[in-house]
Amino acid sequence: MMWLLRQLRKDLWSPEVAGVGLGLVYVLALWLSHRAPGVSGTFFNTAAILGKPLTVGDPANQFFVTTFPPLTEGLGWQFYMVIGIFFGALASVLIAGKFKWTWIPIEQWRDVFGGAIWKRWVIAFVGGIILQIGAGIAGGCTSGLALAGGVQLSPAAFLFIPGIFISGAIVQLLVYRNKY
Amino acid sequence: MPVSVPDILVALVLGFLFGWVLDKGGLNRYYKIANVFRFTDLTVLRFMMTGMLVGMIGIYSLKALGLVDLTAVSATVLAGNLIGGAVFGIGMSLSGFCPGTCVAGAARGQLDYLIPGLLGFLSGGLIFGLIYRTDLIQWLLTAGRPELAYAKLPELLGVDPLLLVFVFSEAILIFLYVVGKTRARRRDVLETAVEQERVEAGLVDAPARPAESAGD
Repeated sequence: MMWLLRQLRKDLWSPEVAGVGLGLVYVLALWLSHRAPGVSGTFFNTAAILGKPLTVGDPANQFFVTTFPPLTEGLGWQFYMVIGIFFGALASVLIAGKFKWTWIPIEQWRDVFGGAIWKRWVIAFVGGIILQIGAGIAGGCTSGLALAGGVQLSPAAFLFIPGIFISGAIVQLLVYRNKY
Repeated sequence: MPVSVPDILVALVLGFLFGWVLDKGGLNRYYKIANVFRFTDLTVLRFMMTGMLVGMIGIYSLKALGLVDLTAVSATVLAGNLIGGAVFGIGMSLSGFCPGTCVAGAARGQLDYLIPGLLGFLSGGLIFGLIYRTDLIQWLLTAGRPELAYAKLPELLGVDPLLLVFVFSEAILIFLYVVGKTRARRRDVLETAVEQERVEAGLVDAPARPAESAGD
């Protein structure tokens, strides 16, 4: 019992232990709900609240009508899962006593790029835009394509993952050069 | 599509577990994701590979027992998956998060995840929907071979699914073993040397672990 409490209060687990939990989430989701967890779709559903009225003049564009209808027209399974992710992470952080309001990442970012908030916020915003467009082109994100596809042995995942690592590594070579 | 109450409960509970392990794995920290692309911290890969190992063994075992059908998978489109991945990788590497880890990172109180991060995803989603009908996007979404769309590797390669799961599992186990070995060696031999170099180069102010010498 004490051992369990100690584990729950830890800031980090070994990635392999946490990874077992990750695998179980995918097994149980497919078994119990016949669905694979994915996050980026819910962001499209949210964007559709604004996007549907904006594309109403173009009937050929059904993206915000049938593919990702607005959240306001009904909450799907993935939406509830995203809510669960937030509260699961929040519980983990609170039990570990690590909750802290921060403007920029304390570890590494500040040492390398300085303490300017605007710089980090611009990168986070632009990064979010690029990520979501990439997810739209690829057909999912790390959860809904790389992992969901990977565990089902879909070729899509094994094209997506190398794509991420090739460009991601090049970006870090350019950004960090010989810093840090 | 309406969701049944049991399905909502499954989604909430599994989402909760998902968020929990994302935090415990450290995936909602900037440096963990940035450093996997610099190959200086393989936490993200170890986490994902273990998840895939457990996931594929569990799912294909259930499938062999006839308990699941694999219908929830994204379509395979050669250009879209690869180029979409490359675009995704640029954003992930720059920002140090991805959609799921941004939500889990916001839960730590990181305002850069909560505000510009999530607003970026919503803006990106809106932009993608607006350019959805352009020739470029339509080409990316359809180029390749349509008959591949919902195929899975065992069928494509014509091998027994459980054999392929076995081969993938072995590969992942070897990867995890080699990474574990390398880390253990590095800790013993290299870490102090690297730390010393960083101090001399002026990259860090003080030894990273002053408590160690003080405590002994």
